[in-house]
Amino acid sequence: MRILYVNNDGAGFADYVNVTEGTTVEQFFTIKMEGREPSDYLIRVNRQPVPKDYVLQEGDRVTITPTKIEGARLVIA
Amino acid sequence: MRKENFMEKQRNLIRLSILLLDSLNELKKAKLRQTQSVMEDFSIRCSDATKNSHLFHKAIEKGWLTGADNIRSRVSRNLNDFSYYLQRFKELVNADETALPKLSEIYAELIQIEQEFGEIKFDPNEKAISVTTETITLEDISFGPFEIKLFIDQINKLYSDAPYRIIALEPNPAGSDDSITHPHVSNEKLCEGDGHVAIRSAIEQGRFCDFFTMAVNILQTYNPDSPYISLDDWEGVSCYDCGCTVSDDGCYYCEYCERDYCPECSTCCQKCDTTICLGCAYECPSCNEPVCQGCTAKCKDCEETFCKDCLTEEGLCQNCQEQRKEDSDEEQHEVAEKPKADAAVQSDSMGETIVHA
Repeated sequence: MRILYVNNDGAGFADYVNVTEGTTVEQFFTIKMEGREPSDYLIRVNRQPVPKDYVLQEGDRVTITPTKIEGARLVIA
Repeated sequence: MRKENFMEKQRNLIRLSILLLDSLNELKKAKLRQTQSVMEDFSIRCSDATKNSHLFHKAIEKGWLTGADNIRSRVSRNLNDFSYYLQRFKELVNADETALPKLSEIYAELIQIEQEFGEIKFDPNEKAISVTTETITLEDISFGPFEIKLFIDQINKLYSDAPYRIIALEPNPAGSDDSITHPHVSNEKLCEGDGHVAIRSAIEQGRFCDFFTMAVNILQTYNPDSPYISLDDWEGVSCYDCGCTVSDDGCYYCEYCERDYCPECSTCCQKCDTTICLGCAYECPSCNEPVCQGCTAKCKDCEETFCKDCLTEEGLCQNCQEQRKEDSDEEQHEVAEKPKADAAVQSDSMGETIVHA
């Protein structure tokens, strides 16, 4: 089934992806964000916080945003 | 009444959504204009190549071999430019088209912003929407809450400038620079660092809640490798001379120019111990000690400035003192050698006495 996946990590990603029916949010995160901790991210489904065992549905919108994003100082060459 | 307020609020959100959608339309137009400009540059290069081709053909036909060689050299030089413009053109034309969101999606974004951040403020004069953060604290230093203000009319300039500002509502700026209100905010501009590309994408695609979320997350994260001013130096002051940041305890105040300096740019008067900067210090040419202006005086003879200790009671420097002594000695010597020209003239009858006949 197809869901909209928005990832605000790094360069960002926003597009439709296919997921197996019955995939939970936790499983989806593990697949897409291998090696990362869910606690380091803000995860929303259809703009709402959901429990980790929420089962994704056709057309759902999943957004993953890192809670720690390092800023910098502007250096003019 | 409550229902009317609710309906009024929904209408305002819809109007705001329309404004945001219009601004995204303008942004898309700006991007397409950029593609058009690059396309024109590339067309000009193609025309130049065509002209050169005609000239080259003519030169060969007429036997102008030197001319043909010159044209060939020119074409060879221009080939590098041609490759550059072609590459730029390819990148822009092949770039993924960003689909504009629907009005309902932008409306949903605004609802989500309210849920995540509380109230959204809309300033009709500045045409800006803003959210207010909680107090931001990094390593026990509190920076107060910030207002993240997105200017709707500036969204079309997304590729040349940030269309938003970070305004400190209860500023605790760096001691050495008032304009730095957060390690990654200077003059109300956020240096996005790792979030730069994702923030641009979020605004471009109308994911305004993601934009505000990322801006807040950058404010809540300290990057010790690249701050405008590090947290260790936050409470410090800037040396007025070299500009380095010094802690409150480690800076020196010049009594004369009334500025703060680092230890390297300050000293103390060797006569009265007053703290002075190197600019206000004077090096006595006699003893070479740094002294303050209050401990200097001019030599009465040569009028050069010395520390008071290096002047005699008569107010003379050592050289002038010696010079005066020399002059005085010379004078005395001259007096001793001079004939007594000014001895009293004797009367004509000196040594004579009256002798009676």
